[in-house]
Amino acid sequence: MARITRREFLRASGTAVAVAGFAGCASRGDAPTATSSPNDLAPNRKGRRVVVIGGGWGGATAAKYVRMQDPSIEVIMLEPNKRFVSCPFSNLVLSAVRSIGSLTFNYGALREQHGVRIMHDTATALEPDARRVRVGSGFLTYDRVIVAPGIEFQAEQIDGLTEAGDRVLHAWKAGPQTVALARQLKEMPDGGVFVLSIPPAAYRCPPGPYERACQVAWYLKTHKPRAKLLVLDANQNVISKPALFRAAWQAYPNLEYRASSKVTKVDPSAREVTTDFGDKVRYDVVNVIPPQRAGAIAVQADLVGADKRWCEVNHVTYESVKAKDVHVVGDATIGIPAPKSGTVANSMGKIAATVVVSLLNGRPAPEMPPINTCYSWVSNTEAMAVINAYRIENGKVVQIEQKLTPGQSTLYAQHATAWATSIWSDILA
Amino acid sequence: MRACVVAAMLIAAVVAAGAVEAGPADTPGFTKAFSCSACHGRAGASRADAVPVLAGMPTWYFKKAIADYAAGRRPSAEMEPFSKMVQTLGVDDIAAYFAAQPREPSPLGVQRAASVNGRGVASQCAGCHGADGRGDETKGAPPLAGQPPGYLLNQMKLFKAEKRSPGDANLAAVKAVMKGLDDATLADLAAYYSSLGR
Repeated sequence: MARITRREFLRASGTAVAVAGFAGCASRGDAPTATSSPNDLAPNRKGRRVVVIGGGWGGATAAKYVRMQDPSIEVIMLEPNKRFVSCPFSNLVLSAVRSIGSLTFNYGALREQHGVRIMHDTATALEPDARRVRVGSGFLTYDRVIVAPGIEFQAEQIDGLTEAGDRVLHAWKAGPQTVALARQLKEMPDGGVFVLSIPPAAYRCPPGPYERACQVAWYLKTHKPRAKLLVLDANQNVISKPALFRAAWQAYPNLEYRASSKVTKVDPSAREVTTDFGDKVRYDVVNVIPPQRAGAIAVQADLVGADKRWCEVNHVTYESVKAKDVHVVGDATIGIPAPKSGTVANSMGKIAATVVVSLLNGRPAPEMPPINTCYSWVSNTEAMAVINAYRIENGKVVQIEQKLTPGQSTLYAQHATAWATSIWSDILA
Repeated sequence: MRACVVAAMLIAAVVAAGAVEAGPADTPGFTKAFSCSACHGRAGASRADAVPVLAGMPTWYFKKAIADYAAGRRPSAEMEPFSKMVQTLGVDDIAAYFAAQPREPSPLGVQRAASVNGRGVASQCAGCHGADGRGDETKGAPPLAGQPPGYLLNQMKLFKAEKRSPGDANLAAVKAVMKGLDDATLADLAAYYSSLGR
């Protein structure tokens, strides 16, 4: 491969930016140098602009709903990935019930139907006083910013996990790791042991690890009847839908669940994990879902609270309690009594978008509560769910009711599929 | 002259921009109803088989459904909590929002043979739901035309099993029809009503 100079690289980057619809960089011609001040990647000549950091369930929804409600507002969405891969339903890729392709979507409609300007890049810093987002050596100005950074893993909390690299998979951000873990499961010998490690709450998608247990156990029961699944849960009990999951697990005698078993060390050479009680467990395939906190930009911008993990927000406006004109949605938030789920992120994205549009138009922010539905697949054909409805009371989100499906069924699997079909469109189409 | 044309184009552009600025947020009920699109599709135009189309639904039936779900007369783990939320937000605004949306029939295909079979059975339903499946408020019969086939079939099965509105005297006749038909025939009926109004 030919050596590329810094100047050529920067020029190429500038061209790429221009192709994506950002005239600022390329038209000026001069690539920035190390000593120059950061350059404006997209000078704002139109007036009002919203920058959305992150194109996941919360961010992509917010970007679309700002444009839907006021097309005179410019929206620039920063998202490093070219494609959207759904975390919900991705446990079905492990059991080979669905393909990763069926969960993968592009951002074309956001760009073409809704006029969202998309930059496949990473926000590296936030400057609330200057109302700028830093992107590499440049910046974007904004009137309001919606931060939807998702989660980042705290791999350092488990000895050996950082060093293990791709030898120990999380598969907790759907994509290549999901496919790789599915392959490891498929190639695992019959009679082998699959170890699934669940982190302490709070983490993305409370029922997700237990659904994953169902899918791995179903796959093993169907394809490798002598193999075993061992679930090591850092929590004292199943933290979501415990009765429903434990009922579902009756069908899986190959599944052993150990509560209060926090994995503190992983050794891929010895194929062994260690729990906080000092128990050592050998595995053939391991899946460590690491402890989590808000995505890197939220931590870097000090939007996180004293725990250095999650972002506290106003329950009506989703404005950060720590920074003005900065709204945070999705899994990165804490304090609103709603789970870190895709439905909640989608819901928060709509509400934050509506708030931002209202405020930029000099209108009061409407008071809208979020909603939640979490469907979990317990086999290849059956699902169950938890549903939460909320209202706003004295400026705070409070729950009206939580309801569980009375059990698992193919009907709820139909509903799960209907939900997925609809919400993917709601986010992206 | 040329300047005039440019000026006219600019004015046209400004007018056009002004026209689109009246976004959906200005529609009463939009903000209260947008949570529903996570399952019921954009503006209530469900594209999914198991979830009903709300776009164009008459207000009387929307409000009855919300009241029935909230009271548990239509048992649904999903809709019971959400109906209570709709009531908290204001059922009149949300009902009016969906009633004002253009009715979009389900895009899901149905087998022609099933639809033809269903048509033969549908004469028992037409007295209340109308030959066109548009429903009749005076008879308490909702529109069925263009709803997804899966949703219609699931509801008929619930009636048949006395799991929807159990003991409701007004629905005794409907349930008697359901109980006299096997599930395959109910599926044909669902296919027929789904195919209407497309």
